[in-house]
Amino acid sequence: MEAAAWQRDPAARGRATALLLGLAVLWPLLQMAEFRPAAIFAAQNLHAVGGFLAGFLPPATGPEFLGYLLRATLETLAIATAGVALAFVIAVPLALLTTRALAAAEIGPGPGLCRARWLQHALRALLTVLRGIPELVWALLFVRVFGLGPAAGVLALALTYGGMLAKVYAEILESGDTRPARAILEAGGGRLPALLYGLLPGAAQELTSYTAYRWECALRASVVMGFVGAGGLGQLMDQAMKMLNGGEAATILLTFLLLVLAADALSGFLRQRLGAAGTRGGVAGIGATGYALGLLGAAAAAASFAWLDLGLGALLTRESARLIGDFVAAFLAPDLSLPWLARVGYGLIETLAISAVGTLLAVAGGLALALPASGRYGAPAGRLTRFGLNALRSVPELVWATVTVLAVGLGPFAGALALALHTAGVLGRLFAEALQNAPPTPRDALLDAGARPAAAFLYGTLPEVAPQFVAYTLYRWEMNIRMAAILGFVGAGGLGQLLYYALSLFHYAQASTVIAAMLLLSVVVDAASAALRRRL
Amino acid sequence: MSHSLRRTALKGVLRCCAAAVLIPSLIASAAARENVLRVSAIPDEAPTELQRKFAPLGNYLEKETGMKVSFVPVSDYAAVVESLATKKLDLAWLGGFTFVQAKIRSHGTAIPIVQREEDARFTSKFVTADPAIKSFADLKGKTFAFGAPSSTSGHLMPRFFLQQAGVSADKDFRTVAFSGAHDATVAFVAAGRADAGVLNASVWDKLVEQKKVDADKVRVFATTPPYFDYNWTVRGDLDPALVKKLTDAFVKLDAKNPEHAEIMQLQRASKFIPTKQENYDGIEQAAKSAGLLK
Repeated sequence: MEAAAWQRDPAARGRATALLLGLAVLWPLLQMAEFRPAAIFAAQNLHAVGGFLAGFLPPATGPEFLGYLLRATLETLAIATAGVALAFVIAVPLALLTTRALAAAEIGPGPGLCRARWLQHALRALLTVLRGIPELVWALLFVRVFGLGPAAGVLALALTYGGMLAKVYAEILESGDTRPARAILEAGGGRLPALLYGLLPGAAQELTSYTAYRWECALRASVVMGFVGAGGLGQLMDQAMKMLNGGEAATILLTFLLLVLAADALSGFLRQRLGAAGTRGGVAGIGATGYALGLLGAAAAAASFAWLDLGLGALLTRESARLIGDFVAAFLAPDLSLPWLARVGYGLIETLAISAVGTLLAVAGGLALALPASGRYGAPAGRLTRFGLNALRSVPELVWATVTVLAVGLGPFAGALALALHTAGVLGRLFAEALQNAPPTPRDALLDAGARPAAAFLYGTLPEVAPQFVAYTLYRWEMNIRMAAILGFVGAGGLGQLLYYALSLFHYAQASTVIAAMLLLSVVVDAASAALRRRL
Repeated sequence: MSHSLRRTALKGVLRCCAAAVLIPSLIASAAARENVLRVSAIPDEAPTELQRKFAPLGNYLEKETGMKVSFVPVSDYAAVVESLATKKLDLAWLGGFTFVQAKIRSHGTAIPIVQREEDARFTSKFVTADPAIKSFADLKGKTFAFGAPSSTSGHLMPRFFLQQAGVSADKDFRTVAFSGAHDATVAFVAAGRADAGVLNASVWDKLVEQKKVDADKVRVFATTPPYFDYNWTVRGDLDPALVKKLTDAFVKLDAKNPEHAEIMQLQRASKFIPTKQENYDGIEQAAKSAGLLK
């Protein structure tokens, strides 16, 4: 009976081949990532993690520490807000100059066409560089040039997020109806009127929503940047983790969870309100809510700048211009000697391996958790797993890495595990949503025909959600490749470790090669995933 | 037409740029920063611990110089060096190697003023929790933890002496890890995150004294020969009168004087003695031969 059922599966051969092929590709990656699951359960390591986690209780509540914590929390909020505000200032002109929706020169064959195209290409390349270098790396560089403290974090966010916002703003403007703007331009109107009256009314809501989402991301990122000395909660976390001070780590982690959940809720609420405001009046556009929101944002940004007291004015002196010039010049001559290139090449492959193994483990974990989270095993189990998934994804990869390093020792496997833990939280939630939204008809039909629940799931539900699962997985893998590149800062191998070492020793030529490799990785992944998405 | 368009766009961009530049500089308070002595230290121990250790010394320096002293905690060694070189710090507690880096990056102007008497004969301890490790030769194929990459006693000198003993840190270890700080190295070794590690003798002694390390489990299996380490360094263009005041203030400190006892105990110093750049030439040579300086 079993054998007969097996033989009837028409796709069996194809699936088996795919599985074998997958394993053949995966094997070297697992080797590279030093995949040793047994290490997690070695008595000595369990003891170390147990001891560390036991130290989490009771969380630290000393008044002196809580004072530090409050300061650091405010600082983190201010860094994220000020960073996104500066990013906005950078992004708006760049988006306007690069978006095709406002390309006046393309209207007719004029003398400016060629020059305008070149300008656009140059600016797009600039955007790629801005967002291709992780904010953590920018922060590490800025800590050097601009001194210690939050200024480095703010500027790092401003550049990376400026690049991202500009790209996405330009895309949003292009994706809407561009005909009104075109009409204004063709009638001889300027670009500013074309933007204000032609594009913004349709796109304002999406633009604001994306900005709010980025602010939420910035909050998470500003925590991570503390790990390189850019102030805020991350700096406290780094210290607590390095000194294995579990009580302090627990309190910081709790604060951080609350902050992320609050930001999540706030940005969700804003988006919802905007959505409602956009549809209720029947008039698209900015509206009262929009203006209130703008004012609120501006006030928050001003307060953040005032509180951080960045002293950015000091950057405009001739002295600091010279310093920045010197610093940049040191990076313009990358170390291209063969031994160093070989090491960077190895770091590149190791980074890829870490990201691939981490993502695969996350897919397995995410799937396993998505089933109960989607409510298949009752509502209480669903709530419990959803809370677990939220906790998993609220802790940034870098923080997970400080724990996994303890669990499996230093090296790439710790990095892969850290990625897996965070990503399992993200994917589990997305998978569960997809499962909930999957049409029940095929599954019900199979069940009615007498199929067992497992078979009904495999052949009725899974095919419905598989394309979505693959798309989500690829998207997270793309993000994990970038993340894997910086996990080395806490001893998890890959390109990050090389960069940290080179920067520590002021070997700027070598550091420059590593940054170039990171940039290359980011650009290639960007292009590959865009090509893949078009295929899917 | 296209001209006027471009001009409009350009004006918009210029306006945005002007706003980007003006707003922060207007908001940034022009607080007088002249009468503040900005001090920091390389984070070779937990930054909170460093802050605690510095507090009484900071009060003492405020009294001696008549300036406000502000301590900036840091978590990156190189950031301290770069800040001193770019004049964002006035006085910093540096290790031997970070001093050499600061000297090079400030084009030879950074001045070491004092060191603890102990720093003239400093050593590092190699520690392990593995009973099979008894000498450098047993380290081959093991995982090894240094402190921070720019630490003198936690990386440079141990690497140099390992090299002299025929052990290459790049080739002979299975994995090399940088724990980031001396007390973290001990935690790494005790937790089995690394088979062996190395840290400075002063921090090791303190951890043993305070019973923060399980002496049955983690033991010292080798000690380096002595070398010059830590000092207090000022940036080269600090007012010479102030430099003299600072030097005198440090040299005046006496562990036997009850008023100074707390400071000296926290600094783990019996007394401070004047020092000079040449004392660190040996470190520079070691850094060159270990490949850490190019």
